[in-house]
Order: sequence, then structure tokens, then C-alpha cells
Amino acid sequence: MIEYAGHLPGLTREELRWRHVRHSAWGETVEIALPELDEAQAQALCERVRSSARARIRRMEVARIVGAIDEAIARLLDRQHPLRRKAEQLLPIVTGYDRETVRLGLTSYLKTFRRPQLLRFLAEDFANPGMLDAFQPAAKGGFLRARGPDLLLHVWAGNVPALPLWSLICGLLVKAGTVGKLASAEPLMAGWFAGLVAEIDPELGECLAIVWWKGGEEAGEAAFLRAADTVMAYGGNATLATLRAKLPITTRFLPHGHKIGFGAISRAALDSRKAPALARLAAQDVVRYEQQGCYSPQLLFVERGGMVAPREFARYLAHELAALARRHPRRQLSPEEAASIASWRAAQELRTLDGMSELLSEPADSWAVIHVEAVEALSPSGLNRTLKLVSVDSLDEVPALVAPYRSFLQTAGIAAPPAELFRLAARLGEVGISRITAIGRMTAPEAGWHHDGRFSLLDLVTMTEIEHSAEAAAEGFAPYVD
Amino acid sequence: MTQAEIIEALLAFIALPEATEAEFEALALKLFAYQFRNNEPYRRFALQRGRTPLSVRRWRDIPPVPITAFKDLTLSCSPPEAAERVFMTSGTTQGIRGRSYHPTLAVYDRSMLVNFRRRFMKGRERLGMGILFPDETELPNSSLAHYLALARRECGTPESAVFIGANGLDLDRLLPVLAQAEAGDEPYALLGASYSFVPLMDALAARGQRFALPPGSLVLDTGGFKGQSRELAPDEFYDGLSAAFGVQRSSCINMYGMTELSTQFYDDGNAACPPVKSGPHWIRSRVVDPLTGADLPEGARGVLVHHDLAHFNCVSAILTEDAGEIVPGGFRLFGRVDGAESKGCSVAVAEFLAAARG
Repeated sequence: MIEYAGHLPGLTREELRWRHVRHSAWGETVEIALPELDEAQAQALCERVRSSARARIRRMEVARIVGAIDEAIARLLDRQHPLRRKAEQLLPIVTGYDRETVRLGLTSYLKTFRRPQLLRFLAEDFANPGMLDAFQPAAKGGFLRARGPDLLLHVWAGNVPALPLWSLICGLLVKAGTVGKLASAEPLMAGWFAGLVAEIDPELGECLAIVWWKGGEEAGEAAFLRAADTVMAYGGNATLATLRAKLPITTRFLPHGHKIGFGAISRAALDSRKAPALARLAAQDVVRYEQQGCYSPQLLFVERGGMVAPREFARYLAHELAALARRHPRRQLSPEEAASIASWRAAQELRTLDGMSELLSEPADSWAVIHVEAVEALSPSGLNRTLKLVSVDSLDEVPALVAPYRSFLQTAGIAAPPAELFRLAARLGEVGISRITAIGRMTAPEAGWHHDGRFSLLDLVTMTEIEHSAEAAAEGFAPYVD
Repeated sequence: MTQAEIIEALLAFIALPEATEAEFEALALKLFAYQFRNNEPYRRFALQRGRTPLSVRRWRDIPPVPITAFKDLTLSCSPPEAAERVFMTSGTTQGIRGRSYHPTLAVYDRSMLVNFRRRFMKGRERLGMGILFPDETELPNSSLAHYLALARRECGTPESAVFIGANGLDLDRLLPVLAQAEAGDEPYALLGASYSFVPLMDALAARGQRFALPPGSLVLDTGGFKGQSRELAPDEFYDGLSAAFGVQRSSCINMYGMTELSTQFYDDGNAACPPVKSGPHWIRSRVVDPLTGADLPEGARGVLVHHDLAHFNCVSAILTEDAGEIVPGGFRLFGRVDGAESKGCSVAVAEFLAAARG
């Protein structure tokens, strides 16, 4: 069976060239056909989406868009719906994540896009979301209306299932004509979602296209990069820099680079009752999406002086990772991924020779925990269930240990009493942390979160304002003027 | 065994025409016992792996040290400050250089020469040599500089010379020498780092010049490009060499050596890439799964482990960062195993280090 990716209004399957790619995992194979548009097709598609957006989505009320998204998400949450069944069947093969991880991940992620959560998104960024539909009175006087870009291009990356829906939905909420470029590592979900939206509200479906081109291939991408008013892009800094260099200076560029997450555990959380539960939650954060998420923890700072010492906590953690390895087996690693782990593991193993650290796994294990007694700065692990645990005398040391890596910071999971949480949060904020969560919730941002500390909707819009002077002057020209 | 006894045993072993696996194993186990006793960090490493001279019965079970350890640890069975020579890696990543301590170069030199004569000289006593790498006096810690100095001194004609100095490639001296070699009928050999050949080929191409060296002439390159020159695909590189110097690809030999070894591997020409590489009877290679360290079957791709008896003072068994597969007659080398970028949006080691370096 061949699964055709993308959503391409106005283009038939026969008109397009398709690149066939096979993905294999868990003993199954799926063949995916990715659309390769030529320059003329790409240009025409962008034009079509842009003019549809002007004629259609611009004139819709936000409530209608929210309704359509809510309905599409409801179908994807329905485990009997054919598309949901297909997602559960194919995404594990394409991404390599195990079925349970995909199923649970999809549900917990999708449910953050129901109507109440979408309204929360809107309320989070707009004091009065009505300004997306019409001019609304501004506090300073005059009136304001918010407009999304006519053509918003998303360049997605990575294999975390359904992650593209996040920015795709944000674009729709601000009524942007939308073109999304699929990530080769998960090229399905965004197209399925767009197809559902088109089925539910065909007019809305016309304002939305999901495409693909091979990263860096000039012919395919040039037309899209030229046409977009705003580009929201995901990827490593090198990829983002290349992309930015290709954009016209007038194009707004909203990059989201790779990030490293970490946790901080206070001694107050380390007693014999709380520590095992906390270790379980931390292990879940590590296992979910195999540390591929920007919010995934790669290192934990653990405070000394609790009833449970850091080295005991490392053992609890190792135990939980071993248990999860049985329930949720790690996906098949590429040779490069295996090499990353091997080289990280080798470096850690050598350091254990000085007796100041301890490696808590066997080479054959599909996870690894290294516990280090000597304090050290933040550093990436080998990913795919490899974690470093660093003992510190006080969590107050943590901000300085992560500060040098400001441009890579985003999420910190913290387990600490309220006063300490707020004190630490203030200092972590100063060095660049933009999201603080409970341990166990690191990979599940709540609805309306500020991705990389930014406003998901506000960053996309421009304001049209009617200043008070215009409004007042208009009165002078009214037919009823005395 | 004492160091003197080890050295004596090794020189005798190298002098043998060949050795069976059992003979190799017997000496490998003695060396492991020696290194376990005298090399403190290696002993701790082996103990952590649960491998001691008492428990290890096969050479394949002797624990190989990841080459990154040569950066972090002082791996030497004799006092490092008493070493006759210390070879260091070029330190391409993070600026920290791996070190190999040689209390004497007697074993290194013997290993190099016996093997070099067999695989490169092939019965010829001496050859005119042009060396495309700085001299040993300029790079005293470079094992390649020493290797090439040894080749020139022991196997080169008196006119053989080094053509890379403080100011880089000395074209003004090299081109007349090549022209002279071309005019004569004695074979000539160019030896150097792979990346040294690239600017030479570029300079010749820019001048529209090419040479047709006499039959029997040879090229020896080693080490790849390491960001020191343009990266060329193997076919492009050997086609270029062949065109520039009139030496057939089957006479272009690639040497694969490492600072962390005292023995080199060679192929029998690069008519087709990648060629089969092999070493002499005192070095053996395995291909392992990088995660478990378990041996992979012939034909499966993994990471290379080399077991070099001649590297007696540090450790004999090393886990490389090179991808390879075992094939009949040796192994194929596929270059460095690079770490992966994250498949998602988490930052991975390579990008993090690049940013930290600025």
C-alpha cells in the first residue's frame, strides 16, 4: 500500500511527480509518496492559497475556524475513526516510536486542541480575541484589528508525531493562508489533518496546502520562500541559518532552533515516599519521544542533603528506566544514533574511572544513567534514553551551570517547594529558561503555552489601528453633523 | 614480563614470516597481563568491564579502550615523562589531543618498516620519494611525520625530499623534481596526507600541467581531508591523482594509520573504492556493535576494533570511531562514524559543541 502525503488543493495526483520513500520499523514497512512540485506548480499553489485566504478565511469569524478545528480534532481523538486508526497503524512504522507511545502521545497532544483549549490560546494572546474579526476599541483610545499574514509558510522538522499541528493551528486561528512543508521524518499527520479540515469546511480547506520538497533543493523551495509573507521554521541552527539567508529581507522569519531540557530536584522532594514516584515521572519524561523533543530532559541536577541521596535517586531512576524499557521498547536506532550513544557512553565510562561517578547500566541495556558527584555544567546526553544526573549542594548553583548555553535553553522541570520554585524560576528566567514544568510534564506543554517564550498567535499578526484622531475627525464628516 | 622481555618478544614476533591466530592470541594475552599490571587507568577500565588476565582466555575478549580515552587518561605502562617520544593526535575536536607514549621507538620503527617494505616497496630496495607533509623536526609529535621520515630515510633514495615547509607546499622545488622524474625511467613515489595532494592537483590543473611518471611509480595518501582541504569523493580523488601524475589508480595506495596504533594498514591500490585493507600478522581487527561491543558477523557494518601487539606500552586493543566491515582478506573502511543530529528538536552533542566553540 502506498500512502500519499500532503494536501494540495487544485492539483490532482496525476499532475504531480511523487517521490516514493519506504519506512520500516517493528517488522513492518510502509511506502509513502511525497509530492514534488515543480516551480510553476509551487507558484500557482501559493497564489491560489493566498487568494483563497483573502476571499475566504479572512471573511470567516474565528468562531467558525475554531469549530472546524475542534471537529477535526474530535475525529482524530475518536479511536474508531478511520484516520485515527491509520495514524495508530502508520506513525509507529514511520517514526519508529512504539505503538503505545504513539497512541498515548497522540491523545494527550490532540486533546490540547479542543474548543475550550483553543479559546484559551486566543485569550492568552488577545485581551479581546474579537480583534481578529473586527476593529475593537483599544484601551489607549481608537480601535485595533489584528491580521495574520496572507501567506504563512511553516517549515517543519523532526519525527515527533503530530508536532506540526501546533503551528498549523496557530496560523489558522489568526486566519493566515497556510502552506506547510512536511518533515521527512513524520510526513503524514499534517496532511491528514488538513484533509479533515477540508472535509469539514471545504472553504477553509481551500486556504490550506501541505507540501514537501527535499531540504535544500533550490528548484522546489525557491517559489515557496519567495511567496511567503512569514516563515515559521524548525530545525538546527545550521539549517535555520541557511533558510534565513534565502529569504527576502521583507519576509518575517520566526525560527525555533533545537533546545536542551533539564530537571532540578530539591532535597525537599527526596524522601523515601516521594523519591520513587518522582523517579518514575522523570523516567517518563526521558522515555516519551526518546528525548527527541526540545523540552525533553537530558540532564538532572539533584540536590544533596535529602533523605534520599542523589546516588540513591539515580538508582530509582535506573530502575524505572529498566521497567519502562520492557513496557515501551526503545525504537530501532540508526547507526549514527547508536554511535552518538556509544561515544557519550564511552566518555562517561572513562570518567567513572576516577571514582567520582557511576554508570548505572550495562552495554546491552537500551538506556543509560550516569551519576556524577563532581558538579558540572549542562551538556547534552547521547539521547534515546541516556541521562546524566549531577549532584549539587544547592539548586541555587543551577542557573550558573546552564547560563552559558542560553540560546539552547527552553524547558526546566522542577521539583521543589513553592518558595524555592519561585526563587529558582526567577533566576532561571534571567538566564533564558522560558518554560518551567513539573517533572513528568516536561514533554506535554499545556494549551496556550509560550513556545520558546514567545506569543504563538501575537507573533504572527500585525495590527491595523484606527487612531483616536481619525475616529474623532470622522465625526466631523458625518451626515448627522450639526 | 618486564618491558625488555616484552620488546624482545615483539621484535621476534614481527620477524616471523607469519603467525597463526593461536600464536597471536598467546602473545596478546601476555601483553594484556602486562598492560593490566602496569597501566593503572587501563586496569580500572578492564576491571569495570569485569575482564582480568585471569578471566580472559581469548584475544577477542581483551577489552578495547575507546580512542577518546587517549585524550582523557594517561595510558602508559612506563613513566610517561621518560618516554622517548610522545605522539599526539591532531586534535580536531575540542582542542584536546590524544597521546601515545613510546618509551622506545624500536618496536614502532620495526613494525612500520617490515610492513612498509612488504606492502609499499614490494621488493624494491629504495625509491625516489617526494614527501607532501611537514618534516619530523617541524612536527615532533606527529606519528605521520615520523612514519614518513622513516620511509624516506630507510627506503628513499638520497635525493628524496620533503616539499612542505613552514610556508606550505613548495611548488617551485617540487615541479622540477617531478619533471625530472618524468624524463627519467626510474619509478618515483609521492607520499603524504590526503589533504596535501588536493592543493597540488589544483595548482597543476590551474597551470594546465600534468605528469606521466615512469611505470612502477606510486602514490601513498593517508588520513583523509580533515577539513584541511576540499573534501573529494574517493573516485574523484583517485581519478585526479591518476590524471595529474600518470599513476594508475591500482598504484595509488591508501595507508590507514592512527596515532593510537604502532602498526599501519594498507590496501593494494584504489582501482575500486572502498578497497580491502589489511595489516601484518601482529595486528588483528574486529567489527563490533558500538553499543554492546559484541562481534558482528563478516559483511555486517559496525565500528572497527584494532588489536595491535606493537602498541605495547599504551594499550593494544582500541575501539575506533571508524565504520567498517570484515571481508575476506581484511576489512573495508567507510570513514568516521559521525554522531547523529537529533531526529526531533532536541539539541545533540555535535551542534552543542559547535556552538560552545563559537
